[in-house]
Amino acid sequence: MENSITDEKIIADLLPQKFGKAGKIWVGILTVICLIGLFAYYRQLRYGLIVTAMRDYVSWGIYISNFVFFVAISLVGSLITAIFRLAGVKWGAPLTRIAEIIAVAAIIFASLIIIVDMGSPERFYNLFTHGRIQSPIIWDVIVITTYFFISILLLYYPLLPDIKILLRFKQKSGNGLHKFYNYIGSFWQGTPAQFKLSEKAINILCITIIPVAFTIHTVTSWLFATTYRPGWDSTNFGAYFIAGAFLVGSGAVVVAMYVFRKAYHLEKYITEIHFEKMGRVVVLLSLLYLYFNMNEFLTPFFKMKKSEEGYLNGLFSGDFSVVFWFAILIGIIIPVVILLFRRGRKPLPMFVVGIMVIVGAWFKRYLIVTPTLLNPFLPMHDVPASYHHYFPTWEEWAITMGSLAGALLIITILARIFPIIPIQETLTEQHEKAI
Amino acid sequence: MKRLYKNLSALLALALVFAGYNTFAQAAPKGDLSIAINYFVDNNTVPSLLVRVKTKINGRFQPVEGVSVNLFLDKDSAGTAIGRVTTNRKGEASIFIPVSVKKQWATSVKHTFLATFKGDKKYEEGKADLTVARAKILLSTADKTITATVLELKDTTWTPVKGVELKIAIKRLGGDLPVNETPTFTTDSTGQASADFKRLGMPGGKSGNLILIAKVEDNELYGNLSVEKTVNWGVKFIPVNTFNNRTLFATRDKAPIWLQLIAYSILFAVWGILVFLVFNLIKIRKIGGQV
Repeated sequence: MENSITDEKIIADLLPQKFGKAGKIWVGILTVICLIGLFAYYRQLRYGLIVTAMRDYVSWGIYISNFVFFVAISLVGSLITAIFRLAGVKWGAPLTRIAEIIAVAAIIFASLIIIVDMGSPERFYNLFTHGRIQSPIIWDVIVITTYFFISILLLYYPLLPDIKILLRFKQKSGNGLHKFYNYIGSFWQGTPAQFKLSEKAINILCITIIPVAFTIHTVTSWLFATTYRPGWDSTNFGAYFIAGAFLVGSGAVVVAMYVFRKAYHLEKYITEIHFEKMGRVVVLLSLLYLYFNMNEFLTPFFKMKKSEEGYLNGLFSGDFSVVFWFAILIGIIIPVVILLFRRGRKPLPMFVVGIMVIVGAWFKRYLIVTPTLLNPFLPMHDVPASYHHYFPTWEEWAITMGSLAGALLIITILARIFPIIPIQETLTEQHEKAI
Repeated sequence: MKRLYKNLSALLALALVFAGYNTFAQAAPKGDLSIAINYFVDNNTVPSLLVRVKTKINGRFQPVEGVSVNLFLDKDSAGTAIGRVTTNRKGEASIFIPVSVKKQWATSVKHTFLATFKGDKKYEEGKADLTVARAKILLSTADKTITATVLELKDTTWTPVKGVELKIAIKRLGGDLPVNETPTFTTDSTGQASADFKRLGMPGGKSGNLILIAKVEDNELYGNLSVEKTVNWGVKFIPVNTFNNRTLFATRDKAPIWLQLIAYSILFAVWGILVFLVFNLIKIRKIGGQV
């Protein structure tokens, strides 16, 4: 017998499971939201960007907010997998696959939402035929593509030993999935030479993904910061975006940890200790992000330059103040307060905090984009009244929600196909503990 | 009937009140205008007149817009009418001496210009006059020395005039720049005033051209005279056009070399690693096949 009974139990616990009733309903709801989004996108293709509320001034609406959100959330792959691994943080091992799946799903939809924002999708082709290497937009396209490939490789390499295990359970996985596993990983025999090459590759990927991850979000922040507009004209933007990205990514991992733990009964593998430790990580990142927010808003508020007055007042006490204070309080300050207490770092409060962080982060991205565009340096003159305000149309909401549902659907499908906790790694860890 | 009388009396009383108000109401006093005429001859061509109209408001002179002034040469008659001008926002209006008064112009070497305003609802009528003698400036240059000669027409001869104060300067966009440290010059008995050009290194146009100007300003006898001359004493301005150079804002084929080097190096390095990792996978696959 190749494995001990304990090993077999671990494998049985961690094998991908078929959707139950709740799972099917969940997939059904996500599919419906995606289909509504697709219909809205069809309308946008049919009638043009006029179906959106974006006009001459607010030319970047919730599509770009959503893009920034997806890029931010994708950074978690580099944090949990690469930074934790290179820093020797052992407790993070069961969370690596969750983080990588989230990263892949988010980066796919970050790319798609940019194409949606272009209006006609064929314009994407123009980026290659007319794109300029001097433009941060091209840097973003290049770095997103690179990050996508790295994330795929970082998901795939550690999967190989698990696929060998999955291939042993043809009956459980079914013919279709078995064929798929066979296609992507039958060559893995677990020889020392293969392990050596794989370990080397994972280490290289972990080192490579960190600068690329920092670049992807820094370049995304430069899309704004290289433009001379109120609120965007900041040298703080790169670090501010990275801090926010790590926070929302960690929030997403916490939510996913809780959901997968509940849905697949993984209490033995994703323990309260994991929540306790992730809680501390989230507190640290929240405080870091709060610090950058203070840098970003306190100094302009202190100076209150005439040209930025409208923008700042709009955020602090004007039209956007409710959303602004919601994002700051719900997305940063209250999570810190909750997580400072030991009870707050238990699974359920952590799940609630994770949701708060994600929702706050989404609105924070909305605030980065829209208020600036509504407060140009040169006041608006002789424009239709609708240009002075921006509220997304149902098509924009549907496409945005569709993209969020799409990302969740990819995460759900990947969790159905692959073990959500690395099996081989857990076994090795177990053996090491036993020794 | 009694009631009707009562109503009629009331109406009559009301009518009397309004009539009384109109009877005793006085029209607002009209303002006084100050009209001034300025005479200009630029480059010894057709003379022109500039009319300035002001009024005193709260103890200060303010320009008046929309005042129409009739201008005449020597006498107020239809045959000597120069024209009718209306002041702009600055309270100014200008006009060239028209051909129609050429005959009158030729009759004398001294002329008087008359300006009349007939008055309107806001302002009282006003008048002004200005007498000038016909004069001109000649400008010559030699070895970076500029000589301006002021001549007055006496009978039929242009005669040099002594003691006329004038400026000799370089014409620039922001104003006139004196050619040396002396702000003004005075003509000698030959009617001449000379100035040494000391503004060496002054940027000129593409061919290094500078415009010299000699000016008599607000002279009691001659009005405002000026004459210009273009000289090649400036430093040639060679424009640096960055339009088609390698810049951050240029087209894709004009991207700066340093940027291309950095960007493509990073790109090849990272994608080189990714390609290596794909080959690594192929290697793992091969090992698996051999087992």
